Amino acid sequence: MSNATQSQPWLETLLQVLAQRDGHSAAQWIRARDWRWPTSRSEAWRLTDLRCLTQLDPTRLHTQTAPPPWPEAPAPSDQPSGQRLSLQLDSRGHWLSPQGEIPPWPPGLMPLPTGDITRGQVAQTVVSSGPLPLGAQLNGATPGPSLGLQVSGPDPIHLELAIQVEQPQAWLAPHLLLVLQPGAQFCLSWYVAATAQAAVLPMVEARLGHGAQLEEAAMAWGCPGATFLASSFLTQSPRTVYRRTNVTWGWGLSRDEPFIRQSQGRAETHLHGLAVARGQSLLDTHSTVYFDGPEGQLRQRHQALADDRGHSVFNGRVVVPRVAQETDASQLSRNLLLSTRARIDTKPQLEIVADNVQCAHGATVSCLQDDELFYLQSRGIGREQASRLLQRGFCEEILQRLPRAALAWPSLRSLLEIPTPDQP
Amino acid sequence: MTSTETTPFCEAPIQTGDVLLSIENLHVCVEENEILRGVSLEIRAGEIHALMGRNGSGKSTLSKVIAGHPAYTVTGGSIHYRGQDLLALSPEDRARSGVFLGFQYPVEIPGVSNLEFLRVSCNARRQHRGQEELDTFTFEDHVRETMAIVQMDPVFLERSVNEGFSGGEKKRNEVLQMALLEPLVAILDETDSGLDIDALRIVANGVRQLALPTTATLLITHYQRLLEAITPDFVHVMAEGRILRTGGKDLAMALEQRGYDWIDGTDGSEAPQP
Repeated sequence: MSNATQSQPWLETLLQVLAQRDGHSAAQWIRARDWRWPTSRSEAWRLTDLRCLTQLDPTRLHTQTAPPPWPEAPAPSDQPSGQRLSLQLDSRGHWLSPQGEIPPWPPGLMPLPTGDITRGQVAQTVVSSGPLPLGAQLNGATPGPSLGLQVSGPDPIHLELAIQVEQPQAWLAPHLLLVLQPGAQFCLSWYVAATAQAAVLPMVEARLGHGAQLEEAAMAWGCPGATFLASSFLTQSPRTVYRRTNVTWGWGLSRDEPFIRQSQGRAETHLHGLAVARGQSLLDTHSTVYFDGPEGQLRQRHQALADDRGHSVFNGRVVVPRVAQETDASQLSRNLLLSTRARIDTKPQLEIVADNVQCAHGATVSCLQDDELFYLQSRGIGREQASRLLQRGFCEEILQRLPRAALAWPSLRSLLEIPTPDQP
Repeated sequence: MTSTETTPFCEAPIQTGDVLLSIENLHVCVEENEILRGVSLEIRAGEIHALMGRNGSGKSTLSKVIAGHPAYTVTGGSIHYRGQDLLALSPEDRARSGVFLGFQYPVEIPGVSNLEFLRVSCNARRQHRGQEELDTFTFEDHVRETMAIVQMDPVFLERSVNEGFSGGEKKRNEVLQMALLEPLVAILDETDSGLDIDALRIVANGVRQLALPTTATLLITHYQRLLEAITPDFVHVMAEGRILRTGGKDLAMALEQRGYDWIDGTDGSEAPQP
């Protein structure tokens, strides 16, 4: 039975429930976009089972959040230069300071009036044809406030956003719109954690003005039974730089779908992702980068580790039309398969029409290397500990790209713990 | 001279001249191909041995079998380390009890910090010897002092294990590990390969400093130049999985002048004539 057949009644109930909130018409959002529930017959959803999501009871959904376990503030010497602001999502969908107050917006960061925010506007520009992905559709159908921010000025601004979910049946769909003025520098860190059967569906839309730089770090930590559907849509003007590092682990189901469009080329996009799928976790990344002009650059590296019955899916789509001459793109998917019942599916999808480009891609799936294990063992490190060291090293290749402050989150530290000698 | 080494593996203190490693009639296969065909060798505390031979003669295989590489199957013979059956131990237990292999091609391990790797290794060995483990700060002081032996830049502590190291830096890192682990038997597999003159001198000095009257060293090399810096007590020549000839340092000089064909043409009993 397909996802669609199974899920249609569930979706109908969900839309009815959402429509009852704040007079928002969820069904209208869905219908306006000619959108249907994805089926396993479509290539994009062939490998991704949505049962973890549809096991939620639509009639019991709520928006309860919990205070995130903010790490202690880093020492002044470790703090990045520039303004820093930390916000957490409350149960009404508002972003407040850890003290529960409306934040004092630093110079260069201005909230946009609610009336100026149209959910899906950037997304429709980036995904010019076809429906928006599932996460964005469900986000759009969920009523709630959006956070819109205009960033200006050359001084870097650091914004940390945290969402903590501890109650079963929570359904959170935060929406963030970023408008980076020319030359602006912005660092955005997400921390999302769910310790109960729940769903978090964040949607980010961003426009990068000429010469702007956006650095995004996302850490999404879930539990079995929890679903994470993230979607982001960015347009990059020339001379912009977008760096995204995301780390995902623990979710029953995660689907991360970044869409980036270099609207006139001559921009840089750096995507680094790490997915750690243990237990019965299914972690899926579908990325799309469009080059709409010449001399664009992409550096993409996705690493996944699958153990137990974990399943990692990666689909990296890169679209290089004729207008995108002299594009320089590289994509690498590296995967560690640690169990006979774990699964890795990885697929580069390069659609290249331009004839004067450099587009490289590679994908590897392997278990731990015997020569590396032996090297560590020959230094007195037990096989089990050596295995963990190598796994940690594999993760570190991506994690070292996260901002230093991000590594202070307790859950992330637990992902990296190394046992002491002779301790499993 | 007596070593203070007292490990759970063998409580008896070591004295110069004690047999540390004893290999008898060792036969080894890999994927049904016999590589070692009856190797016998005895190494005592205070001795430096050099093992020479053509490529493919079995030198590296012997070193890996001593260290416990799982790709090799011992089909006959024995290896005893301080009187105990070494082949019964896992690779990590061999290392913890004092057997060290310096690799010909040290592997690169991306993402694993060299400092962390060295600390975990050092503490595994210390724990086995009944010594207190070193915390991060104490170890960092210790390793920085030890790096002076091989004149290694501390910047290499912050990098991933061997990643992006030049050939010489990798070999220095191997000797640094040897210095930190304080092995009783150190086997250095072509530690001189890929080194320029200055790097060879530094590495050789380091190895010489670490060779004590209570420890033993087995140098695997192709070249006389390493043996000019580290004078061996014994030189062995391997061919086709056997040790064909054993002599003093003069044997290495003879090989340098006359090549391995000279060994092939003898029955193994002829005295070296440099």
